[in-house]
Amino acid sequence: MALFTFREAWRKKVALIAGVLTLAFLILYGTGLHFITRDMVNTVNPAANATSYYAMMQAITLFVMGIYLASFLVAGLAILAAVGSVAGEIENGTLYTLAVRPLTRRDLLLGKFLGLAAMLVIYAALFFLALAGLVYWQTGLIIPGLVPALGLFILEPLVLLAVTMLGTTRLSTLGNGVLAFALYAIAVVGGMMEQIGAMMESTTATIYTGVITSLLLPADAVYRRLVATVVDLMPAGNGQDLPRFVNPQMTLGPFGSQSTPSDLMLFYTVAYIVVLLALAVYSFKRRDI
Amino acid sequence: MAIIEARSLTKVYGRQVACREICLSVEEGQVFGLLGPNGAGKSTLVKMLVGLVYPTAGEARVAGYPPGDIRGRRQVGFLPENFRLHGWMKGAELLTFHARLASLDGRAARQRAAGVLDLVGLTGEGQKLVANYSKGMQQRLGLAAALVGDPRVVFLDEPTSALDPLGRRQVREILLALKEAGKTVFLNSHLLSEVEQVCDRVAIINRGTVVASGRLAELQDGPATVTIRLGGLTEELAAELRRRYPSLQLEGDRLTLALGDREEIATLVARLVAGGCRIYEVVPGRNSLEDIFVHLVREGEQACG
Repeated sequence: MALFTFREAWRKKVALIAGVLTLAFLILYGTGLHFITRDMVNTVNPAANATSYYAMMQAITLFVMGIYLASFLVAGLAILAAVGSVAGEIENGTLYTLAVRPLTRRDLLLGKFLGLAAMLVIYAALFFLALAGLVYWQTGLIIPGLVPALGLFILEPLVLLAVTMLGTTRLSTLGNGVLAFALYAIAVVGGMMEQIGAMMESTTATIYTGVITSLLLPADAVYRRLVATVVDLMPAGNGQDLPRFVNPQMTLGPFGSQSTPSDLMLFYTVAYIVVLLALAVYSFKRRDI
Repeated sequence: MAIIEARSLTKVYGRQVACREICLSVEEGQVFGLLGPNGAGKSTLVKMLVGLVYPTAGEARVAGYPPGDIRGRRQVGFLPENFRLHGWMKGAELLTFHARLASLDGRAARQRAAGVLDLVGLTGEGQKLVANYSKGMQQRLGLAAALVGDPRVVFLDEPTSALDPLGRRQVREILLALKEAGKTVFLNSHLLSEVEQVCDRVAIINRGTVVASGRLAELQDGPATVTIRLGGLTEELAAELRRRYPSLQLEGDRLTLALGDREEIATLVARLVAGGCRIYEVVPGRNSLEDIFVHLVREGEQACG
């Protein structure tokens, strides 16, 4: 069933369309990266080179911006790929012949999840590595913490996939799409508020807003943890320029991770995916088709 | 031995009763027809029997297992009504996939897929994308998918709805071949002639309730007309019979009237003989399935106001 779902996404040209759009994004991003890197380094600090702290921070800032935008594309693909995987198939009548085969509804649903997850993992990994490759090509910086950051970037669409899979067992395709995108928007806005609150050393209420939205959908929290991983593992630099007197997260502004999600939050995210999938299986098993 | 058994199967959606306490039993090797007007609850009943819809009350067993049990599903094929197949696959590929799901290994699955493509008249069409199939071809492919696992029991919900007369005939031949091979077929159909030609037993369902069931011949032997050629019928006896049988028609020496059941024919003849009539010929009328169907459905509508 997983292979069937993966092949379906492939043959329906979901991957091709996403790939073409992603390529367009990468070309645009690469062009911007090229000119920004050249101009900023030369203008602000002509002495800087790839190993200087300033140049590394600049490269990471540009990488984080790219990752932030890439998260939207990956999240969009995760939601759109799964939004009608049960409800849509019931609406158009393709699920009947599959659901009477000798496989349990759990296997049917988890097969669909695994097929879509495989596609999203490959897509997200290629996207991430392409961004990291472009940054390396233009700035000479190997992204610090590349492997754990890659793992976190892959985790993000899986969170959205789990939410959307649960939704599709009960809601119509349209209703599920609206809910998933709304939840994602809330998580992003909440995460942004949390960072701004932390930067301004503001009231705990602002920060808690982000915490609550992260509990609701921990997609943005995973992104923040990714940024924290990259920045925390950044080398100290060659000492030619800026000393490390500013919190580097501060320089990333609302895209940074002033308020970094803990290990517990990561554990929560993994548990969140497992629990939502279990709920999706439970819900699918109980419904009439 | 009953291979399909339903005991008081009931399905309620909110305040609407789709099926009410349906009891039926189908013996192995029979072709069973389920008839009923649109919205009678036929598809809901079939979906309960194949485990797609959960009953509100009652229970069922198919091939010895509750619907939805994996062991039972290995022995069941299903062609749903208003289905669609995955258009991005090729016909043969889709059937091979279904055969794999039905527990056949790779090579056997491909062979079986080719076999059922031939069976439904789609030889040579297996390499086309399903999306490019005509409606009739998709219906045949759906039937092939139902049969690809070599099931003991096949549920077919309106299998000829999208087919032309030639396609219908071909499906009838497939049904008869399945019957000959000892398979059990549960046929849900609007087409009374189709049911009449292939089914051993039928049930008629109306407003979620089974209103008649039995062997086709038994149902056709139910409420009947009779035509009697006779002589010596007196005015008094004719008036008495008119009171008892309002449908009575007398044309020359032919008396035609509708009876509650065929057993009444003997009573009627005895009364005529006792009244001094000479009986030359008694011809019982045979109900068509359509007559029975229309009669029972109208009766149900009148009862519900």
